[in-house]
Amino acid sequence: MDFITNYYFDFGVMGDEFSRVLDGFWLTVKLSIISGVLSLAWGLVLAVLRQLPGRALAPVRWLTIAYIDVFRGVPLLLVLLLLSGFLSAAQFEGVIPRELGLPTWFGETSPFWWGVMGLTLTYGAYMAEVYRAGIEAVPRGQMEAARSLGMNHGQSMRFVIVPQAVRKVIPPLLNDFIALMKDTSLVGILGALDVVQVGFDVQTEQINGSALTLGALMFLVITIPLARLVDWLIARQQRKTERGGGPSAGTSGDVEPRPAGPPATGMAGA
Amino acid sequence: MLRLEGVHKRFGDLEVLRGIDLDVAGGQVVCVLGPSGSGKSTLLRCINLLEPPDRGRILLEGREITGKTTADDRNYVRRRVGIVFQQFNLFPHKTALENVSLAPQKVLERQGAEARGKAEALLDRVGLSDKINEYPERLSGGQQQRVAIARALAMDPHVMLFDEVTSALDPELIKEVLDVMRELAAEGMTMVVVTHEMGFAREVGDQVVFMDGGVIVEQGGPAQVLDRPREERTKRFLGLVLER
Repeated sequence: MDFITNYYFDFGVMGDEFSRVLDGFWLTVKLSIISGVLSLAWGLVLAVLRQLPGRALAPVRWLTIAYIDVFRGVPLLLVLLLLSGFLSAAQFEGVIPRELGLPTWFGETSPFWWGVMGLTLTYGAYMAEVYRAGIEAVPRGQMEAARSLGMNHGQSMRFVIVPQAVRKVIPPLLNDFIALMKDTSLVGILGALDVVQVGFDVQTEQINGSALTLGALMFLVITIPLARLVDWLIARQQRKTERGGGPSAGTSGDVEPRPAGPPATGMAGA
Repeated sequence: MLRLEGVHKRFGDLEVLRGIDLDVAGGQVVCVLGPSGSGKSTLLRCINLLEPPDRGRILLEGREITGKTTADDRNYVRRRVGIVFQQFNLFPHKTALENVSLAPQKVLERQGAEARGKAEALLDRVGLSDKINEYPERLSGGQQQRVAIARALAMDPHVMLFDEVTSALDPELIKEVLDVMRELAAEGMTMVVVTHEMGFAREVGDQVVFMDGGVIVEQGGPAQVLDRPREERTKRFLGLVLER
């Protein structure tokens, strides 16, 4: 029993390694925020590309769908390994500039930036699907109203559809952000000293897992409040919908028209 | 002003419009009546190219807007043809004022202050000067529909289309919307109005068109079509409506 508590909760180890673990966690936070923001933007770009209208743009839609399918369908670790391997090999061979293959922007290491790229490529695909659900949940009449006012497709998306869609999907996007934050731990395999890697190093050196436990606690300090925030946002949205005062009340097709005129003799709404 | 020649539209196997000919002179109000599924709404949606017709021609101020149209053509049409929908379709994330001033700013590239000034004047005209900063969810159906009319007018349309704009409203809210439309007609706006409001058609309509099964069954002055219909189908329809 003592062995178990000592292995996980050795306060001596925690105290000695605290600043090292905290440095690792700071790297995890930076990695999460930069990748999170880039994924949000990249995901939105993908979602909008996927919704482009017209036959001429069908190839763009197909390519976007293929991209999303591939990156949602393969493990992030595999993406990270392939990407970092390719970039370092390509700069070594002179195929791409050294600054791109071994990036050290803003004083961060190459593994850090490879991680940002891999996380963004993968989570952009996840988030694109979330945005798509939001875009499709905006009533069709909104696009028609915008177009009938002379706005083109791009303007209608930018000023009418996307702002409404984003509001609807903030909770699932935050859920994806929580998942992304946890997945930053995979970047350790490329050599980044994130909180999990630091904790693992300590465990290997001292045969004691307390630094990892400490890292877990640091994660929870962020992820639990975020999860509660998601719950709260969802509950708030539900309340709005239930009392009928939701953002789309009276403007969507869910308002039953007053039966006016003669009984329907054919297809309604034609 | 607006001329339709043999307009056809089908959705899959369903032929919704089967050859519509219609002439609307400048300043005229044409009221379109007919049972559900007769193609009235589709007709309006064809006129502003939300649903491009499959066959036939539509001319707006002498210029053909059907056939091979580019995105620019469609946007040209939609700037000149305003439409108001049954379900209002206001932008829920924007205030009444922003709903009205958005398209003029983005499409006509009017300056913010100018577009807002004009939007305020339009909202005043539809009797909502005290609601300019409200979001749609805080407005009644009648108020929302009046904002929607102001929003369409903000683009300075030459023709206004009304698609059963009072059908989703509680009975006591219908009049306030019809009053705005009456005023608009009196000011000389060219209007095509799909409606079940017989009183409005009789009073405001210069022409009444009765549609059924994707064709125009009968058209003429309101007194002629509503009081002395020649066609059996028109009589039956009017009988059903007036029984209520």
